[in-house]
Amino acid sequence: MIRLVLLLATLFVCTNAFAQNHHGLNLVTSLSSDMISIQSNFTGTEIVIFGQAQNIVRQPNDPSGYELAIVVQGPPQDITTRRKGRFLGVWVNREAERFQNVPSFYAVASTVDIGHMADRTVLDELGIGLNHINLAVSGSSNVALADRDDFRRAFIRLREETGLYSEQETSIKFLTDTMFRTNIPLPANIPVGDYKVKSFLFHHGEVVSQTEQTLYVAKTGFEQFTFQLAQNYSLVYGLLAVSLAIFTGWLAGVIFRKD
Amino acid sequence: MQLYLPIAEIPVNIFVIFAMGGAVGFLSGLFGIGGGFLLTPLLIFSGIPPAVSVATVTTQVVASSASAVVNYWRRKAIDLKLASILLAGGVMGSLVGVVLFDVLQSVGQLDLVISLSYVTFLGTIGGLMLFESVRAIRRRKSGAAPKARKPGQHNWIHGLPLKVRFRRSKLYVSVIPVVGLGAIIGFLGTVLGIGGGFMMVPALIYLLRVPTSIVIGTSLFQILFTMAAATVFHAMGTKTVDIVLAMTLMIGGVIGAQFGARMGQNLRGDQLRLLLALLVLGVGLRFAVDLLLVPDDFYSIAIRKGAGS
Repeated sequence: MIRLVLLLATLFVCTNAFAQNHHGLNLVTSLSSDMISIQSNFTGTEIVIFGQAQNIVRQPNDPSGYELAIVVQGPPQDITTRRKGRFLGVWVNREAERFQNVPSFYAVASTVDIGHMADRTVLDELGIGLNHINLAVSGSSNVALADRDDFRRAFIRLREETGLYSEQETSIKFLTDTMFRTNIPLPANIPVGDYKVKSFLFHHGEVVSQTEQTLYVAKTGFEQFTFQLAQNYSLVYGLLAVSLAIFTGWLAGVIFRKD
Repeated sequence: MQLYLPIAEIPVNIFVIFAMGGAVGFLSGLFGIGGGFLLTPLLIFSGIPPAVSVATVTTQVVASSASAVVNYWRRKAIDLKLASILLAGGVMGSLVGVVLFDVLQSVGQLDLVISLSYVTFLGTIGGLMLFESVRAIRRRKSGAAPKARKPGQHNWIHGLPLKVRFRRSKLYVSVIPVVGLGAIIGFLGTVLGIGGGFMMVPALIYLLRVPTSIVIGTSLFQILFTMAAATVFHAMGTKTVDIVLAMTLMIGGVIGAQFGARMGQNLRGDQLRLLLALLVLGVGLRFAVDLLLVPDDFYSIAIRKGAGS
C-alpha cells in the first residue's frame, strides 16, 4: 500500500507523458528521474518507469490482450565492427562494417516475448527488440553480403557484453490491472547525452498508444569541469597535466631523498 | 574504491590503477625506462579505451621520469649535452611519426603495425641484451678480468665527421649518429605511443659506447622532455589525456620509481641488463602470441563518431 502511495506521488512529481488516441486509450508514463548526473562516485544506476494504461481490460497471459514495450535509447554513434582473419600466418583485421547512427545505449523491456507482441515489420519499423534495431551500414564495405548478418549478430553480442545493449522480456510488471512499472539498469559506462524513453501500448499486434520522454545523462561538478577544460581549453589542460606530472615527480624525488 | 574517470567516461578501481602505476614505476626506476611499453598494454587490458591509455601513459611517464631524473641529477649522472642533441633528433622523428600515425589509423591497420613493431623491436633488443648480459655474467663468474674500456677502441661510428666532445660521457663522437638515434627513437616512440627508453638505453651502450652509469640518467632526461611535449600534443589533438587517471598512475608510479632507482644502485650492470632483457622479451612474446594464436573472438568494435568516440 505504501509503495502504491509512493508510486502515485512520484507520478505527480515527475515529468509525465500522456498520449491519447481515438479509442480513448490513454497511456501515461513517468520516469523516476529525468536527469542522471555523473559524479566521481558514479558506478551505474537504474531508472524506474511507472505508467498507467487507462481503459484497458487486460487478462494475464492472454495473447490477444494488451501488451507493453518500453525502449530506452542513447545518443547515436557510428561504430565499426571488424573481423579478424589469417594473413601470412598472423591474425589481422580483415573485413570491416561501419554501422551508422546506431544507438550508443539500447535497453528494451516488455510484458511478453517481443516476438509475440507484433509482426516483424511493425517491430522493425519501431525498433523494438535487439533483433529489430535499425543497423544501417555505410556504402563502402568489404563484407560479403552473405556475411552481413554475422557482423550484425557480432555487433549486438559485443554491445550486450559491455552492458550497453540489453533486452529484458517480461520485465514490465502490472501492479494493478492498468498500472505498471519496470526498472532499466544504466551501467557505469553509459555515454552522456540525451536519451529517449519510448513506451508502446500494443493491442492485437498494433500500437494503439505511445509516449516519448527525454532522459538527460550529464556529468556534473568536478567531472564536468575537467571535461569542459579538456575540450575547450586543451592547451591549458595539456600544460596543466604536464606541470602536475613534473611537480609530482619532483616532490617524490624530494620526499624520498635519502641523504 | 570505484572512481569515475571524466575523460575515459568509465569508473575504475582506484587501488588497482594505483598498484599498476606503482609496479611499472618500480621497473622504470630500476632500469631507467619510461615504462610506457608495459603500462599502455596493461591499461588497455583492464578496459580503459586505447586512445585514453596511450595519451594518459605519456603523462604518467613524465612524472615517473621526472622523479628518477631528480635522483640522477643529484648524482651528476646525466650528460646534458648528449641529452639535448638526442632530444633535437627526437623532435624531428616525432613529427614524421605523427604523420604516419594518422595514415595508419585511417587505413585501420594501426593495431597490427603496433603489434608487429612490438614483436620485432622487443624481440630483437631483448634477445641481443639477453645474449650480451648472460655472456658478461659468465665471464665475471669464471673469474676472467672484464675487458676494460680502452680509450682508443673504435667502431665505424667513431669514424664519422662533425665530432663533438661529450665530457661527462667521456666520448668524442660525431653528432650524426646521435641525432639519427634520437630521430629513429622519436619516430618509433610516437607511432608506438611509448617513450622508447628500452631502445635508447641499449643503443647508447652498444652503439655509442656511453658508460652505463651515465646512460640511464641521460635517457630518462631525454624521455622526460619528449613525453612532456607528447602530452601537450595529445591534449590538443586527440583530447584523450585523462588527468584523474594520470594522477592516480603518477602517485603510484613516482613512489615505485624511488624504490626501483634505489634497488638499481645495488644491482650490478650486467644483472640489471639481464632482468630488463627478460622483461622486454616477455612483453614481446605476449604480443607474438596474440598475433599467432587463434583469437577467442574474431570480432571487435570501435566507436568512430558520436557519443563517447
